[in-house]
Amino acid sequence: MPTYKLTCFNVRGRAELIRLLFAAGEIPYEDVRIEWDKWPELKPISDTPMGQIPTLEVDGQVICQSMAIARFVAGKAGLLGKTNMDQARADMLLDGGMDVGKLFTEMVMEKDASKKAEKKKEFGEKHLPPFLALYEGFAGDNGHFVGDSLTWSDIGFFNMMDFITAEYPGALDGYCKLNKVIDNVKSNPGVAKWLKERPVTNH
Amino acid sequence: MPAYKLTYFNGRGSAEIVRLAFAAGGIEYEDVRLERDQWPDLKPNTPMGQVPILEVDGTMLCQSNSIARYVAKQAGLAGKTPLEQARVDMIMDGMEEMGRKGYAAYFEKNEDIKAERTKEYEETFLPQFFTFLNKLVGDSGHFVGNELTLADITFFNMATLVGTWMKLPDVDEFSGLKKVMEHVTSNPGLAKWLKERPETPF
Repeated sequence: MPTYKLTCFNVRGRAELIRLLFAAGEIPYEDVRIEWDKWPELKPISDTPMGQIPTLEVDGQVICQSMAIARFVAGKAGLLGKTNMDQARADMLLDGGMDVGKLFTEMVMEKDASKKAEKKKEFGEKHLPPFLALYEGFAGDNGHFVGDSLTWSDIGFFNMMDFITAEYPGALDGYCKLNKVIDNVKSNPGVAKWLKERPVTNH
Repeated sequence: MPAYKLTYFNGRGSAEIVRLAFAAGGIEYEDVRLERDQWPDLKPNTPMGQVPILEVDGTMLCQSNSIARYVAKQAGLAGKTPLEQARVDMIMDGMEEMGRKGYAAYFEKNEDIKAERTKEYEETFLPQFFTFLNKLVGDSGHFVGNELTLADITFFNMATLVGTWMKLPDVDEFSGLKKVMEHVTSNPGLAKWLKERPETPF
């Protein structure tokens, strides 16, 4: 049984998809959380391939880049998709989600209050609705984006909407298939347990 | 043998990594290059209103890196084990960041911000990033394992692209990266494509 050690800041952020995938796969791992103010002193001596976290240590080897790590853990959890084509479709849907997620993050991190309000309005009116309409089309009647079972693209969508609905509470109203995806993810036993137990953080 | 049809504009851009993967894998595909006036009609028929798209026996894929990863798997260039595949992904994602930062500097309209970003990118970010990347190259002269993977090809492609915008560190000073470039340009399929590919402004 390999040992897994995930190192990230003490936030959900870029590591949360990874943690959700470990949970869904019921794979034990060490969830190391670094406080922001400790990172500058750790960074020069840390064993990171590109000077960044999150990193995943697997039996002595270190991987960085959150989506690369997430894809690896999804594989271990059997959640990548059954065929190469299914896997490519899952990748594609996650990439599309990240394009929108990036805009959302820019809005959340905006320090100037009036600029932030403007960005929030723009995201909520211009970017979010077409994204949700598009992804409602991608989702199957069974509440899965790819094939007929849970994949990491379902979990990735859930995770992203977890952040987004905190700022736009009613965003998913009326999207039947997307709500089914969310329900499917939340009712996965490993995920349900993690959602109940995970540390509460602002990001 | 499935039929592969790649559609993009007439340029290298974000489709080139897919073309390079097909070339390295010796896999035939239809390389469709759109004229600008063809795009408005095609756009609503694509999964996310973007190109490149890859059609495989009727299924459509979009998102260039997802397509590239799919083609790499078909071509045996994706890494042999899950951990190798994760290393390939990690390099690809790192190169994507390098590209994004370079793009944000080069295409910035405000001259002062552009100058600032370019200075930071060329004098701080790139030397540090090349140093990290160089350490990731194995004794084999490949980023992952002992054979060519999409990671090597992505380094070549992204470094070449960014090199048209920005001053890159001298690859000759990074012995690992130099070997990667040599492996890529001497791969028979890639060498042939690099010689024959259309000359385009982007």
